[in-house]
Amino acid sequence: MKHSFLTRLTGWLSLVSLALCLAAALFYFLGRIPEATYKLTFLLASIAWFVLATGRKIAGKDGPAAG
Amino acid sequence: MSERIARLAAAMDRLYEFDREPVAPDKLQSGGKFAGLFAGEHVAATEFVIGAFFVLHGVGARDLLLGLLLGNLLAVLSWTFICAPIAVRTRLTLYWYLRKIAGPGVTLVYNIANAFLYCILAGAMISVSATAVGLLFGIPVPKLDAVLPSSAGWILITVVLGAAFTTVAILGFAKLSRFAEVAAPWIFVVFVAGALAMLPRLGVTPDLGNLWDVATTQIWNGVAAAGQEKFGFWHVLSFAWFCNLAMHVGLSDMALFRYAKKWTYGLYSAFGMYPGHMLAWLASGVMVAAIGREMHPGLMAYEAVGIAGVAGVLFAGWTTANPTLYRAGLALQTVTPGWPRWKITLVAGTATTVLACFPVFFLKLLDYVAIYGIVLMPIGAIVFAEHWLFPLLKIEQYQAEKRGWTFNGAALAVWLGTLAVVFFLPLHLYFRWLPGWMIALVSYTALMAARRSK
Repeated sequence: MKHSFLTRLTGWLSLVSLALCLAAALFYFLGRIPEATYKLTFLLASIAWFVLATGRKIAGKDGPAAG
Repeated sequence: MSERIARLAAAMDRLYEFDREPVAPDKLQSGGKFAGLFAGEHVAATEFVIGAFFVLHGVGARDLLLGLLLGNLLAVLSWTFICAPIAVRTRLTLYWYLRKIAGPGVTLVYNIANAFLYCILAGAMISVSATAVGLLFGIPVPKLDAVLPSSAGWILITVVLGAAFTTVAILGFAKLSRFAEVAAPWIFVVFVAGALAMLPRLGVTPDLGNLWDVATTQIWNGVAAAGQEKFGFWHVLSFAWFCNLAMHVGLSDMALFRYAKKWTYGLYSAFGMYPGHMLAWLASGVMVAAIGREMHPGLMAYEAVGIAGVAGVLFAGWTTANPTLYRAGLALQTVTPGWPRWKITLVAGTATTVLACFPVFFLKLLDYVAIYGIVLMPIGAIVFAEHWLFPLLKIEQYQAEKRGWTFNGAALAVWLGTLAVVFFLPLHLYFRWLPGWMIALVSYTALMAARRSK
């Protein structure tokens, strides 16, 4: 159960981080944030994506959800 | 000689033994798996180059959009109506089906040709990654007409990257494949976000009111860069169609579609074509226009997304060169029986690294993609003829298998003959494959029918 929950949680959070990457670019395009903020946000959200998506893979593989 | 070929063929068979039997019904995969597979496979490092080249070749915006829409549709239909039906009916890989049709000798030649072509493709991907890493060290990217390495720095960076890619392919192919699955959606986001962030630099206003105006005057303005051939609608349509020619019309993707429940699963290839071969190409076009039309994937991504963009180009090259190196190694292993996996990957990686030093392979990527498809396309036509036309014309199928031929002479002659004819066809390189496919189809059927009447 624990792994199943973790898989879902990391899955959702990884999607949020990917959406954050896109949102940063969108806000920069709209002129709401400066270039430096956009690039830093994109970088941090990207790191979050790789950590969370990898975590989801690991949790999914080890846990009962992997079937 | 024939004994050696028989020995090589036997070694090759052992190598592919694991997929010799048709796929069992309980192993069939859902449509969602195919959608995911295609979506992940078709956003690669080469997308940074192809979309940018359409800008440098002076394609107009309307021609590009229409060409990509229709060309990718034709590619999807080729998977759906040519590749998937044969795969679903036979449940075999192209390797084993071709062996029944053309004999183990022709299959061996096909494998060697494939390995060589894979090495060049992986080399181009290393070169693309080198533009990103080279940016960090101030190493200039070779000019558009460069054939030979332009500097010692370029050679150094490609050799270091080639060695790193090869080492990882030897030590952790499976791990990197899992990493590639994680990276694929993010790489697609790099394309989309990068293009979006570059739009203000080109003068696009936040309300997008002047988007079409900017697209037609500053991005796809119909003016080719110096020394580049002018492309139009038909070039784009044809390129989008044949970009994966070896996979759909050439039938390599029988290896995938033999796991499909229905032949209509070919339609799932649209999940790879439209995001990868349309949106990503459009995005790289925007990025190259925003950096002053310089063919420099690393700089494009850095300017658009910052340091994460550099990582995006590096990862895109790395994760796509890895399976390409693996496939090249697998194909080469057929001629080096008894060699361990690491040794053959090392040979393929070394060859790939040497090729990567020559910028011509990534700077002429569009032409190379065309040649790659043309070289393997006649095999697809031969298999298509044998599978569909022979039963209709009452020509005996699978004679090579039934009679134990090492080489089906007709198949080999048609393959080589088609390539010779295609070479001399007075058409643009991009338009030669289709008549070539027809020539191969008709001539193979005619030769085998003539053999029957004898």
